[in-house]
Amino acid sequence: MAFSSKKIILTKEGFANLQREYQELINQKRPAVINRISRAREFGDLSENSEYDAAKEEQTLLEVRITQLEQVLKNFQIVQDVQKTDIVVIGSTVVVEINDEIHEFSLVGSMEANPAAKKISNESPVGKALLGLKAGESVEVAISPVKSRIKVLEIK
Amino acid sequence: MTRPAVVHFPLKKGTPLAASEKKVTEKLTKAAEAIAPIYEKQVNALDSQANFYPADATKDEIQQAAKSNSKILSPYTMVERDLKGRLTAIPYHIKFRDELLKVASLIEDAAKISDNFEFSKRLKVQANALMEGKYETSDIYWLSMKPYKINFVIGPIERYEDRLFFTKCAYQSWLGVMDKKQTEDAILFRDFIVSSRRKVLVPSEKVEFMDKIQIRVDDMLVFSGLIARFMFTSSNLPNDVNLMEKYGSEATIFNQSFNNKFNKRRYPIFLAVFEENFKNSYPRSLLRQGSLRNSYLHEISHPLLRYKDAEKRLQEYFPIFDEISASVLGVKACGSLLLKDIISQKELEAIMVMFIALAFCWWMQYLDESGVIHYAQGFAMALNFFLESGAIRESKGFSWPNFAKLFVSIDQLDSSLERILSVGTYEDAKKFTEQYGSLEIFERFRPILKNLI
Repeated sequence: MAFSSKKIILTKEGFANLQREYQELINQKRPAVINRISRAREFGDLSENSEYDAAKEEQTLLEVRITQLEQVLKNFQIVQDVQKTDIVVIGSTVVVEINDEIHEFSLVGSMEANPAAKKISNESPVGKALLGLKAGESVEVAISPVKSRIKVLEIK
Repeated sequence: MTRPAVVHFPLKKGTPLAASEKKVTEKLTKAAEAIAPIYEKQVNALDSQANFYPADATKDEIQQAAKSNSKILSPYTMVERDLKGRLTAIPYHIKFRDELLKVASLIEDAAKISDNFEFSKRLKVQANALMEGKYETSDIYWLSMKPYKINFVIGPIERYEDRLFFTKCAYQSWLGVMDKKQTEDAILFRDFIVSSRRKVLVPSEKVEFMDKIQIRVDDMLVFSGLIARFMFTSSNLPNDVNLMEKYGSEATIFNQSFNNKFNKRRYPIFLAVFEENFKNSYPRSLLRQGSLRNSYLHEISHPLLRYKDAEKRLQEYFPIFDEISASVLGVKACGSLLLKDIISQKELEAIMVMFIALAFCWWMQYLDESGVIHYAQGFAMALNFFLESGAIRESKGFSWPNFAKLFVSIDQLDSSLERILSVGTYEDAKKFTEQYGSLEIFERFRPILKNLI
């Protein structure tokens, strides 16, 4: 994810979740991994120490995520809670028809996107195509090699 | 070429098994090995009716006999002649009782060692199923239990060796240990695919059990019987559509078998059939991922295409349509994954090119094992369909597929295949197979694939 001056769009819930995650990483996970590294050092020869390698790898991933969250939490914009609207906005839950399939998902800022939880980024091709549409309206989306007609069936 | 009926895989380094679990797997490995001799008695590569029916019995005679004795065409009987020369059916669990006693005893030993109550019970039910022929009870218990790290399947399961009626099941067994990380990835894919609702042509005939589709990726320890011969990279059970509707299904991807196929067949095929500059834009790791996803997608799509009466309507054409439609629908479903930013354009392209490589892989496997003819024919249908639409062009190899056309062609092929599966007649299936199922498409590539055959 590239960070620029562009504000990161977050819902209130998303902001609270990221803050919670950040606090957990700083206060619990970071000290725990430092502790694991120092214990692993006591096992001796670092070149043959798989526990040390695993802990160091975990620390790298953790620090990358902490940096990412710090940047987001410095440069975010909260979108208001969505009341039921007649157009698709960030935070809307929509039922759409994509070719012959019916999909239901919520549109969220890119930091909150979690397709497994049916949260799709506003910056995804389908997200960009849907923002501003009304129920009953259709739009054609083409991102090679896929060309699809998307129809908004319902805005929840 | 005849492959051995038992294949062992070395236990992967770091496989998380406790001492008692290792003992359980040792017993189950022996049980799996002991099923192979029964399989050998059932099959006969030289005869399309294998040894399931007497060699001198004709298709007509068997069908006639089945009218007065339905057990003749039961999936779980051997057909023999009695003293008067009439056809008679003997249930597997009676015919192979002595061999099965040994297998069941090894499974029961494993059940005694296992610390996991549910799995131990599962093993006891499996042993009992083999001895009593109660395969359904065993399947129901298996589908209802929580996924456990050790996966053991044994019994008469797949019908590929009965090339006369595609009815009789041959014995097989596999034993594996869950690869947790890969399983999580496969589950994520399953969730993405089943979260959308598809429009279907005849909802009344559609089997719906989307909330009961399980998927796992296993590191294998042993393949025995039919699966050792066919070396499948994945499996989806049960085969009984009624059981599936009530209790769901479980797909298993076999890690080593997949890796073996990718390294020895699918990737070298990709290198052989595509143009030089085209090939260079796809790193091997991306293609491996695309190929693995083809396996996930195929297995996840299988249950989405179950129509209650399809097997009866399409008869011997059913397995051709059943297999290829799952692969095609899987690729088609990736369209919405791209739109939702779940996969990238390059990842989708990798899935599509490895679909083409997979087609050749099935043809090569068919040259070794004629029992997989329906896979080869199904993929021939796809390639011929793509060629006809201009989505791929052949000139000393597929020079440069047009992905936009290819995706449209996949969408159209998916519609045609599902129409036949859902409402098509036997004649429709026959006509489509005759129009597109010619294996000649593969033969044209024989010269550039000669080192792999």
